[in-house]
Amino acid sequence: MSTTIDTSSTRAGAAEGRPRPDGPSVRQRKPGGRDLVAALPWVAPAVLLIFAIVLFPAGFMFYNSTRDISISGLDQGSVGFDNYVEVFTFPYFWPIFLRTIVWVVAVVGVTVVISLGLAQILNKAFPGRRIVRLAVIIPWAASVVMTTMVVYYGLEPYFGIINTFLVDVGLIQTPEGYGWTRNPETAFAWSIVIAIFVSLPFTTYTILAGLQTVPADVLEAAKMDGAGPARTYFGVVLPQLRGALSVAVLINIINVFNSLPILKIMTGSIPGYDADTIMTMIFKYIQNQHKVDVASALSVVAFLIVIVIVAVYVKVVKPMREV
Amino acid sequence: MKKSLRLSAAVALAATASLTLASCGFGGGGSGGDDASGTTLDLLVPSYSDNTQGLWEDVIAGFEEENPDIKVNLEVQSWDNLESVITTKIQGGEAPDIYNGGPFAGFASDGLLYAAEEVTSPETFSDFQDSFIANAEVDGTAFALPLIASARALFVNNALLEQAGVAAPPTTWDELLDAATKVSALGGGVAGYGMPLGSEEAQAEAAVWLWGGGGTFGDADAITVDDPSNLPGAEQIKKMIDAGATQADAGSTDRSPLMDIFVQGKIGMQVGLPPTVGQIEENNPELDYSIVPIPTQDGSPFTLGVMDQLMAFQNDGDKQDAITKFFDYYYSADVYVPWVQAEGFLPVTKSGAEELSDEEALAPFLEVLPDAQFYPSTNPKWQATDGAFKALFGQLQTKPAQEVLTEIQAQVDAS
Repeated sequence: MSTTIDTSSTRAGAAEGRPRPDGPSVRQRKPGGRDLVAALPWVAPAVLLIFAIVLFPAGFMFYNSTRDISISGLDQGSVGFDNYVEVFTFPYFWPIFLRTIVWVVAVVGVTVVISLGLAQILNKAFPGRRIVRLAVIIPWAASVVMTTMVVYYGLEPYFGIINTFLVDVGLIQTPEGYGWTRNPETAFAWSIVIAIFVSLPFTTYTILAGLQTVPADVLEAAKMDGAGPARTYFGVVLPQLRGALSVAVLINIINVFNSLPILKIMTGSIPGYDADTIMTMIFKYIQNQHKVDVASALSVVAFLIVIVIVAVYVKVVKPMREV
Repeated sequence: MKKSLRLSAAVALAATASLTLASCGFGGGGSGGDDASGTTLDLLVPSYSDNTQGLWEDVIAGFEEENPDIKVNLEVQSWDNLESVITTKIQGGEAPDIYNGGPFAGFASDGLLYAAEEVTSPETFSDFQDSFIANAEVDGTAFALPLIASARALFVNNALLEQAGVAAPPTTWDELLDAATKVSALGGGVAGYGMPLGSEEAQAEAAVWLWGGGGTFGDADAITVDDPSNLPGAEQIKKMIDAGATQADAGSTDRSPLMDIFVQGKIGMQVGLPPTVGQIEENNPELDYSIVPIPTQDGSPFTLGVMDQLMAFQNDGDKQDAITKFFDYYYSADVYVPWVQAEGFLPVTKSGAEELSDEEALAPFLEVLPDAQFYPSTNPKWQATDGAFKALFGQLQTKPAQEVLTEIQAQVDAS
């Protein structure tokens, strides 16, 4: 922050551990084959792991997407890109695609806004803060399927407690309650609510970690200069949260896009394709139609969509750039 | 340079995350095969009830005692997962030796199955009821062994019908609509007719209505869902829903949870299975109900018969003898009858039917069994048809009947 012309002894000592840019150094030469061989034992496990769990499945998925796989799972030869044609000519594909975008934008957007507020509260010292911080983690610690099932049963007509409550307070007129999970729009809306609920802990904690790196003296300086709370927040705090926020958003986009269990449980019994996203559609291809080949094709499409979204995001927001 | 490294790091992260779903398909199975002491048979079965696992374990224990050189590995899966599991196993070259499931014609036409006669002794084979073995044939050869049968009948809540002033259980569609409307009018969350068109078993409720109106799903050669004879049934379903004679959201209600509501006494009438009798006895023995034949358009008797099968996969040729021994043991009356009885289904062997003929709870079902019609399960496209019904049939609630039938037919034809 402050620059001094004084070169103290500690400076010289520290310089010994690091090659000085102007000094003559053997490490200046370009990394050659010898270095690579020397590094191999250290990077090989990671490279193998990446190959085994990222590249091989991706390649295999792409291979499957160009095959004709019978209903009982036998490979019956290549069909070129016919499976992709089937994916894109499916009349519900574009509505499903749009719904996927709505799903990602709604869940990630609302999650981030709520998390910003929550993190702000948790960053203030107040009695019982530790307990509140723990409470925020709970949705993270619980299994997503379990959380979703609890809500699903709560929404059941006849015996669900949410339905019973709404009937008791007079908001629903039919005595058995409303079929929240039986209608595409309401089931999808509730799924968004659950997805936000389970995404909150991670996002809140990432932002909280970011908040704790905001130096107190900067805030003090803002106060001295007469900035009000709103001005301080938007002018000083928020820009410093950029790093934490953009990582949280990136990871949330990927996670939410690929989320299957919530929608599968909440919209599973609804006929037709009016509440599906790309992920549940992949699942339906496998489960209902036994088309592993077409499911693979749609998976490849989904994979490309995620990569495009992430690439655009990284290009525009530069989340990995140091603040 | 540095920036592009970071970009690729982010892309790799995205790749890892998005592949978690795709890589699910690689779940490994146990690797059966022969060990030093003898043959090992892999047995994959679905769970019919909480007793299923124990019942199979008893069968296996008895079998292994008689045949010490053969070991049987049991794997029990839920019905929801069963078909994904078998597909994954076949794809990975890990097909079980014996499999208990519904549709089998797809496997047979892929040349994966033993013919039934190759894996049973002549005595066992001739003991099967002829109509059932006929239902397991593809091109004149039986590729599956009937395991259990079930028939459907209408469960009627006597108390609710009486309250609504309905004198006798309905036998025709008009009477059913009338009775169900009256029961629904009782209010208090009571529904007249429980109509489960949700994905769980939409094909069954579809068959009850479409076939009850003279329709058909087709035969071994062709699937004909989009057929004029199916329209009356589909229209009648819409009529029931529009008249408010059913529970709310019929199109997306699953069968099992709805049956629970019937057991609780809040539904006037619903089509049920033999195991429903045991379910009522266990959960609400006070329920005053009766079991009557399913009402049809003109009142003629009809029931939907369902038969599940055992099938044997050709893995290594040397297991044929062991499989034959297992089937002969399993279908002997002493082993088979207690098994069927405990699961609450109907037997498929002649000897079994004789032994169970005086069973009271099964009587209403055994009575309707002669009029049973089966799914065209020997058609290689039946599996796709089944899936199409599950995914699409519930749309009847909101879409015109003809449109739904056309859409189902289109999905079947495209498979």
